[in-house]
Amino acid sequence: MLHTKTRDAVIFQIGLASFLTLILLIILVPFWRVIVTAFIPLDIYTREGVPFFLSPTRWSFEAFKQLLGHSMFPRAAWNSVVITLLGTAISVILTVPLAYGLSTRNLPGRKLIMTLVLFTYLFSPGLIPVYLLITGMELTNNYLAIILPPAVSVYNTLVMMSFFEGLPEELKDAARIDGANELQVLLHIILPLSRPILLTIGLFYAVFFWNEFFTPILYLNDNDLLPLPVLLRNILISASFNEYVEYDAFSSSSLESLKAAGVLITMIPMLLIYPWIQRYFTKGTLVGGVKE
Amino acid sequence: MKNWKMIFVVSLLVLSQILAACAPAATPTQAPEPAATEAPAEPTAIPTATTPPEPVDIVLWAQATVTEASAPPDDWVAYQIIRDELNINLTYAIIPTGADGEAKLNAAAAANDLPDLFQIVSASNDSRGALLRIVDLGLVAPVEELMPLMPERTNLHYNDPLAIDLVTFNGHQYGFPEPPPIPKREGLVIRKDWLDKLGLAVPTTPEELLAVAVAFTEQDPDGNGQNDTYGLGGFLNQQGLGTRFDFIMGAYGVPGVWNFADPANFGLNVRSEQFPEALAFFKSLVDAKVIDPDWPTLTRDDFRARWKQGSYGIMWEDFAALTNKSNYEPFDTNFPDGEWIPVASPKGPNGDAYYGVYTGRGQIFAVSQTAADAGKGEAIAKLLEWMATDGYYLLGFGEEGKNFIIDANGNISTEGLDPLEAYTAPERQPFTQMRNQLIFYNSEQEIAARYPDYKTLNGRDMLPMTFLSFFQNEPWVDGRGIQVILPPANAADFDRFYTEGLIKFVLGQEELNDDTWAAYLAGLDALGAADYEAAAKQALTDAGLLK
Amino acid sequence: MTVKILPSIAPSTEKFTFKKLLRSMWRQRWLYFLMAPTLIYFLVFKYGPLWNAQIAFKDFKPLLGVMGSPWVGFKHFETFINSFYFADLMTNTIIFSVAKLLLGLPIAVICAIALHETWFLRFRTFVQTMIYLPHFLSWVIMFGVLLVILSPGNGLLNAIIERFGGEPIPFLTSPDHFRWVVILSDIWKETGWSTILYLAALLAISPDLYEAAAVDGATPLQRIWYISLPGILPVIVLVTLLRMGHILEAGFNQIFVLYSVPVYSVGDILDTWVYRQGVLQFQFSLATAVGFFKGAIGLGLILISNRIAKRLAQQSIY
Repeated sequence: MLHTKTRDAVIFQIGLASFLTLILLIILVPFWRVIVTAFIPLDIYTREGVPFFLSPTRWSFEAFKQLLGHSMFPRAAWNSVVITLLGTAISVILTVPLAYGLSTRNLPGRKLIMTLVLFTYLFSPGLIPVYLLITGMELTNNYLAIILPPAVSVYNTLVMMSFFEGLPEELKDAARIDGANELQVLLHIILPLSRPILLTIGLFYAVFFWNEFFTPILYLNDNDLLPLPVLLRNILISASFNEYVEYDAFSSSSLESLKAAGVLITMIPMLLIYPWIQRYFTKGTLVGGVKE
Repeated sequence: MKNWKMIFVVSLLVLSQILAACAPAATPTQAPEPAATEAPAEPTAIPTATTPPEPVDIVLWAQATVTEASAPPDDWVAYQIIRDELNINLTYAIIPTGADGEAKLNAAAAANDLPDLFQIVSASNDSRGALLRIVDLGLVAPVEELMPLMPERTNLHYNDPLAIDLVTFNGHQYGFPEPPPIPKREGLVIRKDWLDKLGLAVPTTPEELLAVAVAFTEQDPDGNGQNDTYGLGGFLNQQGLGTRFDFIMGAYGVPGVWNFADPANFGLNVRSEQFPEALAFFKSLVDAKVIDPDWPTLTRDDFRARWKQGSYGIMWEDFAALTNKSNYEPFDTNFPDGEWIPVASPKGPNGDAYYGVYTGRGQIFAVSQTAADAGKGEAIAKLLEWMATDGYYLLGFGEEGKNFIIDANGNISTEGLDPLEAYTAPERQPFTQMRNQLIFYNSEQEIAARYPDYKTLNGRDMLPMTFLSFFQNEPWVDGRGIQVILPPANAADFDRFYTEGLIKFVLGQEELNDDTWAAYLAGLDALGAADYEAAAKQALTDAGLLK
Repeated sequence: MTVKILPSIAPSTEKFTFKKLLRSMWRQRWLYFLMAPTLIYFLVFKYGPLWNAQIAFKDFKPLLGVMGSPWVGFKHFETFINSFYFADLMTNTIIFSVAKLLLGLPIAVICAIALHETWFLRFRTFVQTMIYLPHFLSWVIMFGVLLVILSPGNGLLNAIIERFGGEPIPFLTSPDHFRWVVILSDIWKETGWSTILYLAALLAISPDLYEAAAVDGATPLQRIWYISLPGILPVIVLVTLLRMGHILEAGFNQIFVLYSVPVYSVGDILDTWVYRQGVLQFQFSLATAVGFFKGAIGLGLILISNRIAKRLAQQSIY
């Protein structure tokens, strides 16, 4: 893209860069503190809390060792991966057709469907009614109990619908004239052009399932099935119940470090996924789509 | 491109099917009862059971002693023994503590899907109240007929008639009241090294306490040249000013919410004339800035982190949380000369001195009605009896000679054992997860094993048991009656008004004088305080606890 | 190219007949087939529990089941609407929700536009990745961070205030300041995440428009005002409408961790009250009733906002 270097544009860019740097600092400074907390050795922590700057030579990996080296960590991490992949796949596969259907302007019954969908967004039944349904379907102790109730998020569906609406009708018409049916239009024309939104919504779902912690506690009875957030939380609770557990405490790092390290560990997969997705966020995905 | 997409989608579908199928089969749960047309009026008695030829399936829900360790593996020797000797297939599921555990229990109750034997979980530590609610729903089976089937266990665990009374409703016993954790285990402690450095004596009255606290805050008792110490530290829990500051209220004769100290005038403590005095004194502590100003918002963990950082001179703490080796170590490392000593309860202007209120709350286990209807009662009794007899050491410590030994004095020890196999090792924790819930009963041998003496870094003797016995000998109010007091219908509103009002006075958000105090009491009455007190008094009298 | 959520459908000049409807449906049968699994899913997993949620109007007894429990009508609703603190709770809930929306959304949009416009691509990728990180921090951790910054004893902010001769302010326990702590910390944490969506929306705008503008000699600000903002207007309106529908969700997780007794008066929201009331007792029906109440209010608000959006921005969900 041509960046015409007019005086206005350059000043504008400088302003932008300063603004973004400011935002970056505001975000990173408290965040940096969390990172330092995760690496602080126990003796420094008990002596003076968390100092603002800690020389990397004194960084301690104790908290990470304790969490990553926990005997149940690999199993819990794997469980989280399964839940996330399965959940994201099911959610996206269910969301896309509905969003696409709702985006079709002249579909009979569209308003009705929209009403029905919006109704569930507003009126959320709550914990007990969902639990009654799940036990009625005998899905306790099964990952589907965690995945299915929240699988289609109305918010995500409507956002996706909004994007599909924004695609030019001419593209679909061009395909239809060539004899394609709706399914082919969806698969071959719409989806390839909707990469940014598909990836975004997929990311939203993935993050949701990756961090799910309450429904696993509620529905899963087998310790082997528990995902990572539950394990991390159990470790933290353990470290704080130390007046009733009198044996050598598990924690050789402070509770604060464990919390911070736990959060960072949970964050790492998401950190890796988004930049990978960003490669597909290219400007102008419609270039070359339609010959005017 | 199109082929790739199709293949991707199809394989996702296939994969999801495979993964879903691979998820382990649901643990055998009871099918929900068909809806009855009316709630049963009388609880169904447990049918006499003949020994079934097939193993009985029992599902047990209990909290874990060490939450971060896992449940015992499937090949645990205890499961095998239970199957062979007792003819029981035991499925043990760990449930979380606190509000999450309570939510899980609530949900199972709502679906009429409670397990056979389960622990009552209550985020507010009101197990009896929680038990009563599910008893009222008809979901719990009476168990008095099971007690004779476990004589040893009853003798060791259920030997307090009051505890049995508290789980008896309408003439039937509905739960197994496990022994509470060691009673009266918290107390007041002070930094002796700070006292010595500033040449002060241990405070014995509230005024002296204030003076010492001021000195601790302003005169740099740790000598590091920084203004980073506070006289007092604490945090809020439960109702009112919480249990961490009850020793202050106790000096004025009004510890806790209810007036158990003076049964003839039973009611809310706030009705007493001494209460505003106590409140005014507390306010003077806050005004003098001798309490860590974050105290209203700290959690227990934050509070503990701070005293280990040497921020506090006087505090209320659990003896094990303070003196047990692993808990004391971080403090010891930073302050090898730091020394805590226990302090007797301060005596107020009218001669009152109460350390705190002892509630005696313990854990309760219950049997679901569906289990009783299925005839599993006898098997459950057998299991519990085994846990108290042959299974005691196995579930509490492990195998003798491998995980623990009993030394010449009859104490449990790990001398000479492989450190990885010792019962104190992290690797062994999954195998003794039930110990705090179902196995231990506060025997001397247990206590000696859990709180051994040791030496601090600079060679001083640290004897946790001395702290414990000091605390236990202080004057506590017997507040066990609180277990029969049920919260009112507007509990959330009442508790908020009660606590918020007191905090506002103490923090100076609201001025404390006769008029405002009268207005506060009037506000409580408007929320039904009088009825609440009357109901409480009635419940206590009915239970024979008001002498 | 104008983008709309739903353009107004021009009145048809042909007569509406049932036959035409069926023919139209048949022509688009694929769409119905595609949507069928999802609609079935909705029936089972969204409407199924809603059927169970009738316990909000009943005195639910597990042994009697959902159908067998007796009706009590609006009793549970009355219990909590007439409760002592109801007005307080509603006020706090709405203030938090609206403030987070009014302050947070513009900031997120501005950040997204700034990221979209910058020429320094590596810088942009870096900033993009960094600003959404706080979203992953749990509020428990945030509480620790806020305590360090805001503590009256030795917090950073109060240290600065004292240096300038002021009195330390107990931000977390002061009713005058707590709301700002909640609102600003939420914005800090969530803004980065929201920009992801707006950035994706900006990328969907055709670059032809920008090139045409460049040819016409538009300044950057003009470009933003005439192309970028209108381009993402549908998403902005949609998000705002949806958030209106959930106006009574003020952020339970955050408030539960951050609040304490001294700030109940300004910090207690519906959900924290329900938590204390519902967890304390086996109040199955109460929590469900509150859910319905929230839904009813949300419905009203969405309808109103929808009408306003239609008039002001020609965008709407209906």
